[in-house]
Amino acid sequence: MTASTHVSSDERIRSLEGHARDIRRAIVSMVHTAQSGHCGGSLSAADVVSALYFDLMNIDPSKPRMPGRDRFVLSKGHACPVLYAALALRGYFPVEELSTLRKNSSRLQGHPVSTYLPGVDATAGSLGLGFAQAVGMALEGRMLKADYHVYALLGDGELNEGVVWEAASTAAKFGLEKLVAIVDRNNLQNDGKADDIMPMEPIDKKFEAFNWRVLTMDGHDMAEVLATLEASNEPTGRPTCIIARTVKGKGVSFMENKREWHGKAPSDDEYSMACKDLEGGCT
Amino acid sequence: MSLAKSKTPTRRALAERMLEAGSERDDFVVFESDIGYSTYSYLFGDAYPERYFNLGIAELGTMATAAGMAAEGRPAIVCGYGVFLSMRALEAVRSFICYPRMNVKIFSSHGGVTAAVDGVTHQATEDIAFMATLPGMTVLAPCDSASARASFDLALGIHGPVFVRLMRDPLSELYPEGTEFSIGGCHTPRKGDDITIVSYGDLVFQALEAAELLATEGINAEVIDMYSIKPWDRQALRLSLERTKALLVVENHQRKNGLGYELAAWCMREGVSVPFAQLGLDDTFAESGSYPLTIQKFGMDAASIAAAARKLAAAKY
Repeated sequence: MTASTHVSSDERIRSLEGHARDIRRAIVSMVHTAQSGHCGGSLSAADVVSALYFDLMNIDPSKPRMPGRDRFVLSKGHACPVLYAALALRGYFPVEELSTLRKNSSRLQGHPVSTYLPGVDATAGSLGLGFAQAVGMALEGRMLKADYHVYALLGDGELNEGVVWEAASTAAKFGLEKLVAIVDRNNLQNDGKADDIMPMEPIDKKFEAFNWRVLTMDGHDMAEVLATLEASNEPTGRPTCIIARTVKGKGVSFMENKREWHGKAPSDDEYSMACKDLEGGCT
Repeated sequence: MSLAKSKTPTRRALAERMLEAGSERDDFVVFESDIGYSTYSYLFGDAYPERYFNLGIAELGTMATAAGMAAEGRPAIVCGYGVFLSMRALEAVRSFICYPRMNVKIFSSHGGVTAAVDGVTHQATEDIAFMATLPGMTVLAPCDSASARASFDLALGIHGPVFVRLMRDPLSELYPEGTEFSIGGCHTPRKGDDITIVSYGDLVFQALEAAELLATEGINAEVIDMYSIKPWDRQALRLSLERTKALLVVENHQRKNGLGYELAAWCMREGVSVPFAQLGLDDTFAESGSYPLTIQKFGMDAASIAAAARKLAAAKY
């Protein structure tokens, strides 16, 4: 969807920032309702997901399996509130359904399941294995000489998984230039700072050494997010890794950069405070 | 009954059929993890390089990548050694192939202690337990060339995950080319009324040899080749046990959680009360050595089967 070429770049950015705010409200709201789920890593990814679903990706919510569509694999599947919010707001399913997150018989499972919910391109949640599936999807695109891009969103802690590097080797071997891995570099994982739990830096040099092109961006500066994602689509014969510098819990002051908010649900009071932070309330 | 010696291990027979099928249908792709000269997947790879992906020594990544390609609607085959495909790659098989019902076929060589000389690290002796436990997984275990070739077509003929257990060494040829096989079916290569011996894969031949021995003693054993392990042929077993009233399950696998456990549990549920025994690894690991000596040492050869059958037949009276 590139209709945005008709609007000024300021309007485009403001609009996507608005969608990101809506996504954040929906994240906090659904995790509060479920009293279970992952706020921190969902909030850190909201701007990237907004740019992809409301601007850059070639998708049609009325045709979720459209062959030529761009694919999105949430390899850090625990952050599914950000994906569910974007899909609902984009029109894949009713927004009211977000309140069924993690409940029995819901299509919004605790980690995303492709066979349940339209718009979910891959079942994921076991870290590293969503990324490897994304490589398989891009390999299929290469075989078909298709134009679609495959975007995989990984956590920085996820890079601890050995299979990430198996998949990275495969993508480079086959020159999967339409594969874009976005690393949500919020520097927090379940047990603490990512840099302490298992130091992975230099992440850029690691991917470069695996024969990937590496771009970096401020994952909360919408102008930079858009420009970087657009740059990632330039064909280079290599897959692209974007390191998105982000803040875990971004947008909710008391959740920002706090390890505890990796997988915790807000109480009623905390929910009210969060809604104040996210201008306009959560309703 | 004396069977023709085989020159072709089941891993090769299936791979040769895969090569032929490459020209019959252009939709499937084959993934390999650097043992293509051992699984014989290289035969397909040489003929169809654009449909063959060797992802190196990385079974977990290979399995998940195949799942991703299957998610796009492409039938994907993964070839490798059973010990790695059923354990190192198990999570990808469970959560990203079986759970979303991906059309992935796993052709798994070196089942049981048929890789005897390689030692325990290369012997898949728990693979049936892991694979048959997974919801939606179909499990096949051919014993000879005809059944291995048929297994390829059975696997590709259905939508969804299939695990085919193959063997390292050539043993014997039992079925004429063109014999019919089916998912959920079995064959009864020897009829008898005194005891039912159920096996699959390589040990079908040991069971048949045991039946020859038993016949000289006046015990007529029925041998069922349960090549379709999941689903398996309940009706055939019921009819057989109605006549023989004794069941011996012989498998090149741990006794625990193998086909024997499955059949015993079914007998209990159905109220089929017959003397029952199992042969296979008895909560132990095997070791390096020759195939014949290894199955002898661990009680899976014809003499061990005959001994267990004698006891069971006697227990009926």
